[in-house]
Amino acid sequence: MSILHTVSQSPKSKLLESCLNAISDGDAILFIEDGVYYCHREYLLEKVPDAVTCFGLREDLMARGLQIDEGSSIESVGYRKFVQLCTKYDKVVSWF
Amino acid sequence: MSKNHSFTFITRSAPYGNNRPHLCLDTALAASVFEQQVNYVFMEDGVYQLLKHQDADSINSKTLGSALETLDLYGIKNVYVFANSMKERNLYLEDLVISAKLISNGELKTILSDSNTVFNL
Repeated sequence: MSILHTVSQSPKSKLLESCLNAISDGDAILFIEDGVYYCHREYLLEKVPDAVTCFGLREDLMARGLQIDEGSSIESVGYRKFVQLCTKYDKVVSWF
Repeated sequence: MSKNHSFTFITRSAPYGNNRPHLCLDTALAASVFEQQVNYVFMEDGVYQLLKHQDADSINSKTLGSALETLDLYGIKNVYVFANSMKERNLYLEDLVISAKLISNGELKTILSDSNTVFNL
């Protein structure tokens, strides 16, 4: 049963650390709202296992002046893909 | 209130998670209109308010980065960013939308002790 984890607070919240305690291979993390600051220069992301896919919500990235670096493992997605991810994974767990 | 009253505003939140950054800016601009001495300090996630290329139309908000450019128009020249907060976030002065002075713990302490009133938002 794969899980989509959403993280919606900035790294100051240490939510990613909490999330990583509960994550399994094959799960995915979607950074939304202030969570997209985790995508900035791959802040703290070296801790995420390779078997976990990372996404950042494009609208939230754009609003905050953030770009995902070239060659980054994080994929930028829009609202449509957000919905697709919610249906693709068996469950959604929100970290906020 | 005396003409020499000095205010320091410390803004510590990222731009769009809550409305504290806007409240802080509005209060500082109001103080400045009344010709009070104003210091503006960006600290912790507050430094994210200064990132270039913000476009909050995508989340139906007002772009804070551009609003901060009004600090200068209102005569607020003492704009500081807390160096540790920048370093922790891999940010550099050239990433910022306005020019600001990097300050250390020691300088922050001096600014606060020299201020009559401190707003910490």
